Amino acid sequence: METLLNPSKTPNLFIPKTHLFKPYFLHSNFNPQPHSSFNRRPLSITITCKVKTSQGRKNDGKNISKKIVLTDSAPELSNEEIKAKPKGGGKAWGVIKKFPKRVLAILSNLPLAIGEMFTVAGLMALGTAIDQGESPEYYFQKYPEENPIFGFFTWRWVLTLGFDHMFSSPVFLGTLILLGTSLMACTYTTQIPLVKVARRWSFLQSADSIRKQEFSDTLPQASVSDLGVILMGAGYEVFLKGPSLYAFKGLAGRFAPIGVHLAMLLIMAGGTLSATGSFRGSVTVPQGLNFVMGDVLGPTGFLSTPTEAFNTEVHVNKFYMDYYDSGEVSQFHTDLSLFDMNGKEVMRKTLSVNDPLRYGGITIYQTDWSFSALQILKDGEGPFNLAMAPLTINGDKKLFGTFLPVGDTDSSNVKGISMLARDLQSIVLYDKQGKFAGVRRPNSKLPIEIDGTKIVIVDAIGSSGLDLKTDPGVPAVYAGFGALMLTTCISYLSHAQIWALQDGTTVIVGGKTNRAKAEFPDEMNRLLDQVPEIVESSISKKPDNIGG
Amino acid sequence: MIFSTLEHILTHISFSVVSIVITIHFLTLFLLVDEVVGLYDSSEKGMIVTFFCITGLLVTRWIYSGHFPLSDLYESLIFLSWGFSLIHMVSYLKFKKHKNNLSAITAPSAIFTQGFATSGLLTKMHQSAILAPALQSQWLMMHVSMMVLGYAALLCGSLLSVALLVITIRKAIKIIGENNNFAFSFGKIQYMNERSNVLLNTYFLSSKNYYRYQLTQQLDRWSYRIISLGFIFLTIGILSGAVWANEAWGSYWNWDPKETWAFITWTIFAIYFHTRTNTNLEGVNSALVVSMGFLIIWICYFGVNLLGIGLHSYGSFTLN
Repeated sequence: METLLNPSKTPNLFIPKTHLFKPYFLHSNFNPQPHSSFNRRPLSITITCKVKTSQGRKNDGKNISKKIVLTDSAPELSNEEIKAKPKGGGKAWGVIKKFPKRVLAILSNLPLAIGEMFTVAGLMALGTAIDQGESPEYYFQKYPEENPIFGFFTWRWVLTLGFDHMFSSPVFLGTLILLGTSLMACTYTTQIPLVKVARRWSFLQSADSIRKQEFSDTLPQASVSDLGVILMGAGYEVFLKGPSLYAFKGLAGRFAPIGVHLAMLLIMAGGTLSATGSFRGSVTVPQGLNFVMGDVLGPTGFLSTPTEAFNTEVHVNKFYMDYYDSGEVSQFHTDLSLFDMNGKEVMRKTLSVNDPLRYGGITIYQTDWSFSALQILKDGEGPFNLAMAPLTINGDKKLFGTFLPVGDTDSSNVKGISMLARDLQSIVLYDKQGKFAGVRRPNSKLPIEIDGTKIVIVDAIGSSGLDLKTDPGVPAVYAGFGALMLTTCISYLSHAQIWALQDGTTVIVGGKTNRAKAEFPDEMNRLLDQVPEIVESSISKKPDNIGG
Repeated sequence: MIFSTLEHILTHISFSVVSIVITIHFLTLFLLVDEVVGLYDSSEKGMIVTFFCITGLLVTRWIYSGHFPLSDLYESLIFLSWGFSLIHMVSYLKFKKHKNNLSAITAPSAIFTQGFATSGLLTKMHQSAILAPALQSQWLMMHVSMMVLGYAALLCGSLLSVALLVITIRKAIKIIGENNNFAFSFGKIQYMNERSNVLLNTYFLSSKNYYRYQLTQQLDRWSYRIISLGFIFLTIGILSGAVWANEAWGSYWNWDPKETWAFITWTIFAIYFHTRTNTNLEGVNSALVVSMGFLIIWICYFGVNLLGIGLHSYGSFTLN
């Protein structure tokens, strides 16, 4: 039990918050509190501190605070705190038994966990600074041995430690696994016992221990049961035993961190399953063609097993785009039909970005588009399909072009009509000299005359860029996400505990809280103001319940 | 047309009001006219006016462009300054009795972010842009608003902790100066770092130091509460972003630079909470972690956008 200096009006024992008990050189105002009891009791000064034994952590990593009570009489032998480890049968068996406990104790060490988290953060930062997934020559050039960064960082560091694929490198994954085991160890050794402690109702029997709380106050002319009623009205759970009272609120705030850790473990497990057992693939399909899912999907890990749904055939019925008034692309849509092995249509849906298709555990996403071919009529003949090729792409802006040769097609310097398009909406045509000739929309069927040739743009055939994926870990990961969000919110709640003792006609109240330390005194004052003051004449009970 | 002029008017009003509020704060600070309550009241009213102005600005933009006002960097900066003024409003309404030190942090933050947004650096982004297909989703509202609110709360809390650090370190320098003949002065810094609360306790006999102790305690508690709130928003933002990515692109985590840096920010603040569980490391050490967090948030929010690559390239810009 640690104590803090609390700014209350009653004189207080000056207890420093120490890790090891050191004689404090400025304690000239050390006033031991005289006991207000009529029984003859030895003067007892209670000093509590955390004692670190030389063996480190003896009791599963818990820091049990040992109470040292100095009294006039001989100290009683209290062997409840000092637990002797029972010897198991046989020395070797004892060593084996102790091994997991020691490993557990090492893993649940908090500074180690903090160090691991720092390492993970540092590695991730490094992973964004170093370009990922490039060829080795790129790293030879960027981090040359002749001129190392910071004086030592060359491509050798990058390639041997696997920093070019940081997020799947052994160093990073190893640190994550270590963090996961620390999480599990910490939850098991520290937090679950905390649950047991927090749930116990602990009544404080002495007025001194109540006064030592973070917040404490004295109510003259009051009764503890009135206080209990007021606290119940404010949402506390109140327990009364004789003259003493214990109330708490917001116990969920103590359990929620455990939930956070468990949620994180669930997410890590789901992520591992995703990494080892999913299938992934992408394909660009021109409108009107089809593909089989199994041909496109490739496994990502050793646990990947294909399912029956992989035999489904996907047919692209139509691919079209929506445009804003300014001409920018607003959305792309693909109309898909799925056929099973017997040729029966099992599903038909129009996909768009942010609206994927789900079938048999496989999800199809609309991610990209391309221009497959331009269908034209030349001098009334056709229709001819001219394949469109992608030209230099600036970021998101795409440009496709095709070429219709005119005249002698066997000569080396063949000339013709060029057609460029940025999207499926309008085609820009250029003549033999490369001069701009006109713009046509595919659906208008308006002919254009270029150098004596009449061209009619019939249709612009696009192709749809689809990503396929199957991921068995997604349900676990989503469950983990939901649990993490919920438990993080709950751990914001503050666990407040209040103790009170009826001492004659006065009630001594003390309380503490673990999170909302700033608002707690105000809330307490507000509640205590509501406790009614008992006028003299209505007191009928004898002052025999004096807190000791 | 009317909407864009309304937007302009609201921008200018909020900008000027916030500058007036800051001027008032600096006046109270430097001219020590602390007791002029009327001045304090008017600064509070100024912040309320700012809050309503920025809210009006965002709503106008929403109606005008047809999509939630969070599609590019300019809009997210306005949203960030709205977040700061919202935090100020909430703390003002909750603690009407006490004089709120928080406004010294939130008001300058609001004005700096808004000032940067409206300044000449990002002029080409003032017009509402058209939403790319990938951004046309309900998730946009939840993910980006949670992230930006989380950033606002975390930045506030970090600034409070930095203030705490500044006060504590200035005290340390003063103590070192006063005890020059103490042989183990280096050991004293160590001792003081570990037991900053206790050492401040011993000097509470002097009333000035008592107030300073009260102030550091208050700053510490406020920063803890605000950072907890910010952490919740950040968690929800990151996770909703992951779910959205799964719906849109097929994978919930792509190690995209912005995602990675958001995760690094989350990790640093998780470290902060863990340092606070151990009372030995409380106080100065946790404040140091938070100061790191402050820098990391700016890298995550701004620095990554300067790179302009990856899936989050909508927020990128070039300084011209």
